[in-house]
Amino acid sequence: MLRTLSLAAAVVSLALPAFGAEVIEPVSKRFAAEDVQEVPDFRTHVAPMLGRLGCNSRSCHGSFQGRGGLRLSLFGFDFKMDHDNLATGEDSRVNLETPADSLMLLKPISDEFGHGGGHRLDEGSWEHRLLLNWIKTGAKPAAADHADLTRLEVSPTEIVFSKQGQTRQLRVIAHWSDGSKEDVTPLSRFQTNSGQVAEINKAGLVTAAEPGDTHLVVFYDAAVVPIPVMRPVTNQVGPNYPDVPAPTRIDVLVVEKLRKLGIVPSELSNDAQFLRRVSLDLTGTLPTAAQVETFLADSSANKRTRKIDELLQTPGYVAWWTTRLCDITGNNDDNLNNVVPIRGRASQDWYDWIHKRVADNVPYDELVSGIVTAVSRNEGESFTEYSKAMSSLYNPDSKESYSEREHMPHYWARRTFRQPTDRAIGFAYTFLGIRIQCAQCHKHPFDQWTQQDFQQFTGFFTRVSSGTNPASRDEYDKLQKALGLEGKKGNQLRRELPRLLKKGKTVPFQEVYAIAPRRNANNGNNNKAALKRLKQQVAQLEARVEKFKEDGNKKQLAAAQKQSAAAKQRVKRFAAQANKRRNGQGAATAKLLGGDVIKLTEHADARQPLMQWLRDPNNGYFARAFVNRVWANYFNVGIVEPPDDLSLANPPSNKPLLDYLTQGFIDNGYDMKWLHREITRSRTYQLSWQPNDTNIKDELNFSHAVPRRLPAEIAYDALKSATASDANALAMHTSMEGRAIAIPGAGTRRNATSYALQIFGRSIRDTNCDCDRSSDSSLLQTVFLRNDNEVLTMIDNGRDSWLSQVNRELTGKPLAGARNTGNQRGAANIARAIANQKRRIAQARKDGNDELVKRLTVQLKRYKSRGQQTQKPQKRRTEEKATVETKPSDAASLVRQAYLRTLSRYPSETELSRSVSYLDGEENIVDGLRGLMWALINTKEFIVNH
Amino acid sequence: MATFRTCDGMKRRDFIRVGALGVGGISLANYLRMAEAGEVKQPRAKAGIFINLPGGPSHMDTFDLKPDAPKEYRGTFNPIQTNASGVEFCEHLPKLAQCADKFAILRGVTHTLGAHALGSEYVNTGSRPIPALQYPGYGSVFTKEHGGPVDLPPFVAVGNAGRQKPGFLGVKFAPLATGATPRAGQKFSVRGVSLGNGLTVGEIEKRQNLLGDLDTAFAGFEKNNQLLDGLDRFSQQAYSIITSKRARAAFDISQESPEFAKPFGEDAFGTSCLLATRLVEAGVGFVSLSLGGWDTHQDNFTRLRERNLPPLDTGLSALLNGLEQKGLLDSTAVFVTGEFGRTPKINSRTAEGGRDHYPRCMFMLMAGGGVRGGQVIGKSDDKATLPASTGYSPDDAAATFYHNLGIDHTREYHSNTGRPITIVRNGKVIEDLFS
Repeated sequence: MLRTLSLAAAVVSLALPAFGAEVIEPVSKRFAAEDVQEVPDFRTHVAPMLGRLGCNSRSCHGSFQGRGGLRLSLFGFDFKMDHDNLATGEDSRVNLETPADSLMLLKPISDEFGHGGGHRLDEGSWEHRLLLNWIKTGAKPAAADHADLTRLEVSPTEIVFSKQGQTRQLRVIAHWSDGSKEDVTPLSRFQTNSGQVAEINKAGLVTAAEPGDTHLVVFYDAAVVPIPVMRPVTNQVGPNYPDVPAPTRIDVLVVEKLRKLGIVPSELSNDAQFLRRVSLDLTGTLPTAAQVETFLADSSANKRTRKIDELLQTPGYVAWWTTRLCDITGNNDDNLNNVVPIRGRASQDWYDWIHKRVADNVPYDELVSGIVTAVSRNEGESFTEYSKAMSSLYNPDSKESYSEREHMPHYWARRTFRQPTDRAIGFAYTFLGIRIQCAQCHKHPFDQWTQQDFQQFTGFFTRVSSGTNPASRDEYDKLQKALGLEGKKGNQLRRELPRLLKKGKTVPFQEVYAIAPRRNANNGNNNKAALKRLKQQVAQLEARVEKFKEDGNKKQLAAAQKQSAAAKQRVKRFAAQANKRRNGQGAATAKLLGGDVIKLTEHADARQPLMQWLRDPNNGYFARAFVNRVWANYFNVGIVEPPDDLSLANPPSNKPLLDYLTQGFIDNGYDMKWLHREITRSRTYQLSWQPNDTNIKDELNFSHAVPRRLPAEIAYDALKSATASDANALAMHTSMEGRAIAIPGAGTRRNATSYALQIFGRSIRDTNCDCDRSSDSSLLQTVFLRNDNEVLTMIDNGRDSWLSQVNRELTGKPLAGARNTGNQRGAANIARAIANQKRRIAQARKDGNDELVKRLTVQLKRYKSRGQQTQKPQKRRTEEKATVETKPSDAASLVRQAYLRTLSRYPSETELSRSVSYLDGEENIVDGLRGLMWALINTKEFIVNH
Repeated sequence: MATFRTCDGMKRRDFIRVGALGVGGISLANYLRMAEAGEVKQPRAKAGIFINLPGGPSHMDTFDLKPDAPKEYRGTFNPIQTNASGVEFCEHLPKLAQCADKFAILRGVTHTLGAHALGSEYVNTGSRPIPALQYPGYGSVFTKEHGGPVDLPPFVAVGNAGRQKPGFLGVKFAPLATGATPRAGQKFSVRGVSLGNGLTVGEIEKRQNLLGDLDTAFAGFEKNNQLLDGLDRFSQQAYSIITSKRARAAFDISQESPEFAKPFGEDAFGTSCLLATRLVEAGVGFVSLSLGGWDTHQDNFTRLRERNLPPLDTGLSALLNGLEQKGLLDSTAVFVTGEFGRTPKINSRTAEGGRDHYPRCMFMLMAGGGVRGGQVIGKSDDKATLPASTGYSPDDAAATFYHNLGIDHTREYHSNTGRPITIVRNGKVIEDLFS
């Protein structure tokens, strides 16, 4: 089913000598002889050779503007354009009469002709001879019925080096659909995915570098073939490999790879490390101090497994994984403006809808189906019923949730998701984990996709729309009329609707709806015929112009020129309109990526066959993309990395592992919890971050845990919970209210947490890239943790902080310093309000608006009196310090608590004594703890998951 | 060992390395060649100030008046003479008229994005927004190219960052957003820089010592991990910023002499301008600030006269004079722009009339660095509906600003999916500004 995927698959099974037809020897040999008579083929030989010579690279003629007046298709798969630009028209680069004087030969040979790309070709070389023969024999284009490339065979299929500097030559054989086979090694392009491990030169000669593993990639025609290459890190390979425990299937597969590389995995993490790691990864939540203590005290053998099962039942799991699913589906409030009448509601709907399904552990394919095939109306709902249901839902008193509705259509209503091309790109990113956008403008450089593949795929996205369904126009008008809103549109209408919803009225809603197929839909074939006729007219008129020019008939010439220009305009206009018509009507057929052509006219909704295809067990992307992303969440890198770039040139670091998990996920009915459980139960996941000599440089083969910065929302929540009172920290586990992992949509709307989340790189959910979320560190993040009022206030924060709790426990009083802080800020705010108010009053006086002056003055009085109140207790913290008597044992136990709530472990002896002595050095123990808490949340250990 | 490939076959790891040497080298060579050929002149500015006027200021009522246009276009404001010969603009900008020799006016700038969000993104980056990618703002590019001193944040956004976002360059190049604007004559408390909650430098030092002793979990392993190594380096820099007198003083506009501070006025924009001059003086590389409220669909003239033009007049003139006074104007590139102009024809929504969004014809201001002040570059047609000739694009303006900042705008970055992206792809430096 996957057309060209078989190109890659075939490679794995090859190594057999090609039988049947003889393999034609390479062009470098055939064209070595001076008197060679062979006629090279444009597609098979000429175009790939231009690629090898670098002619069609981005900085040369592959640039979209071309170079020196010549443009070639980038990455060379548009044979028609390339041939047209080289060998036809006035600007032709070939000279059929004296082939050797062709510009395309002269320029790259010698500087005389001023070639911007410099010297590329030697006269008398086989390359030169090949091009010359092609021109001599008429510079023919690729035949329309050119055979297809069925397989690209590369040998060897795997390279294992043992020391630096060793070399191997790759050999590449093209298998064509007519049965012919040719050695195309000198026509292929080669690339290494990591020059640190192995280099490869233009001729396909591989040289070993540092230990490690990577892939070499071979490109020819549309085929892209990766070849694994490795150099073991130690000599502990094969039989020399030590005995390493591998209790789960994941472990077996990971160790199998490590055994080849001579890498020994790290030890198992200790219980404290495990608990912190799994709580953050699985539930986005730091364990409380009490949870850590309980877990550490538990001596049962299966406590880790039980913990995993327990965490999968928590609201944190649901909230965090809803957030991740909102990331990849692109829940962005800014892009949902005016999709529903209440600002921010659409992204909340989106979050709630996914949230419910994650909570119910609805299978992933079913969840996705509710998005992919979404329409706004439930089955059987009329437009009026739909509007009624939505109005009732949007009433402020409503207890209903959007999550009860059948579908999640907002995905299709985003302003960045209206054009079929944008949809094709976004869809491929979200559900297939591939970057099809490259193929919008040129052949995909790292995958099989051509521009044609892209174009044909967009057909699926032409038959869904959002807004007001023309079929329900009458019902829509009726509803609007009933509300007295006749004729109101746009902003005028939008201002009214929230008010009416508050009153419990039924207002008309926008909707996402499928455009039903038309019988005569034909991908614009009628248009094509008409366009052809118009073009013929132009040709005829141009012929007349030429004729009159020759005749010297000036009068007739002017008229003909005018007509010809007008006809050209018509062609242009018609083409533009045809494009529009095609989009409005929806395509008649569309082609699945690497799959079948689907007749869309046979489906009520073009997205149905698309969804079927996602669920097809042979679909190589859908389940795989999700499994790989989930894996990346736990291991810092995906098995394919970056996780949203599944492509032929970017193969998995451990294919059997990805295959196993993908198949298991499908066999278990797309059960997301199965996947989480399978991964977190593995020893591989539970390994320590502490590396050994063999694995210290490994970041791709999962031989140890890789320290990674906490994601933005989790970091923010962790700060809050680490500094909160015991009761509040616990509450963060049971209720998601106020949690950053419960913020529904990305966007620029500002709230208290937005600065922190922004600098820590919360996903912007805007550009179809997993990199919309950032895990980089930055100066501003560190400055924020060190000295931002938001953080300092968290430590001190009134009654809700742990510090205040401790103070109360020790002295019976709440924390004085904390209150002061709040008051200082409050006082500043009020001072500002008073100043503003005075300005407004002055302005109102100037305007002569007495009534406003009066009203503002009353408010001003209120501000002033409030200002006096807040200023009263405003003394410096140091002056008001409670004397706190503490025993040494108290100090030690408080230090332990501080460690448990921040780093989720007990302090070592050294840490304990250093901390206690710090506490002793402060005026009182609470001040000491304030400094200690500051230090602990500023350790790397805190902000990193390890 | 993680690698990312790019569209031209380069790998992420490679271009971290190459980014520092190779590509930079090639690009620099390229640039130097252009410079030799006289295509570019050596720029002078060491710092940049970007002033955004969100809402879209009316060009016809500010810097591109058309007193001879028909009544339904002209508007009620009159032109006045400035201290630059032949340069006239709106009578409600008298202070700017007295320092017109310090800045240049670009007229007939044109584009087609008439929505606030898209237009703003365009003029804040110099690249027409596309859905697949977020372009970085000027300040982020400046930070990436020039960095900054160790004890100061390299890029400060006074107030909120607006659309000066790091885009695909990533969180490392985001501005420190002060959140609030300073108040005249008062100490300005800036998040992360000012010492909050009664903290003193002594206390910070004590805490830092404690932190040094406790932050040892990864001891010996840091150099093997990019993240941990980065955290350590940022930790050092954060500490030097927080304990730096210079940083705190830079933000404290109350330390400015009253004579110097007075012309800036007391409103938020004026104090922001004052802060910008102080920050640049202290060594901050790039400052962005904004003055909003230009979306005058209704009561265009009253609102401009009473609310918007006075603070712009006061703040911007004080900024330019102040930079000059401190000897910084020659080394500070200033760029002032809104996202678009406003409809030349006055609408009749209210009795007084307003003007709506109009990207096809707008103005921009440039000053400092190599820019020769006191001139008008470009021209709009009789009714200020279109440029009189080809006009300039926001891309051209951005290329010019970068040029003034010593940044080769044709330099290529790689987006985080590995796509090669030119800083300003379609822009051409407006040489006339520098002559």
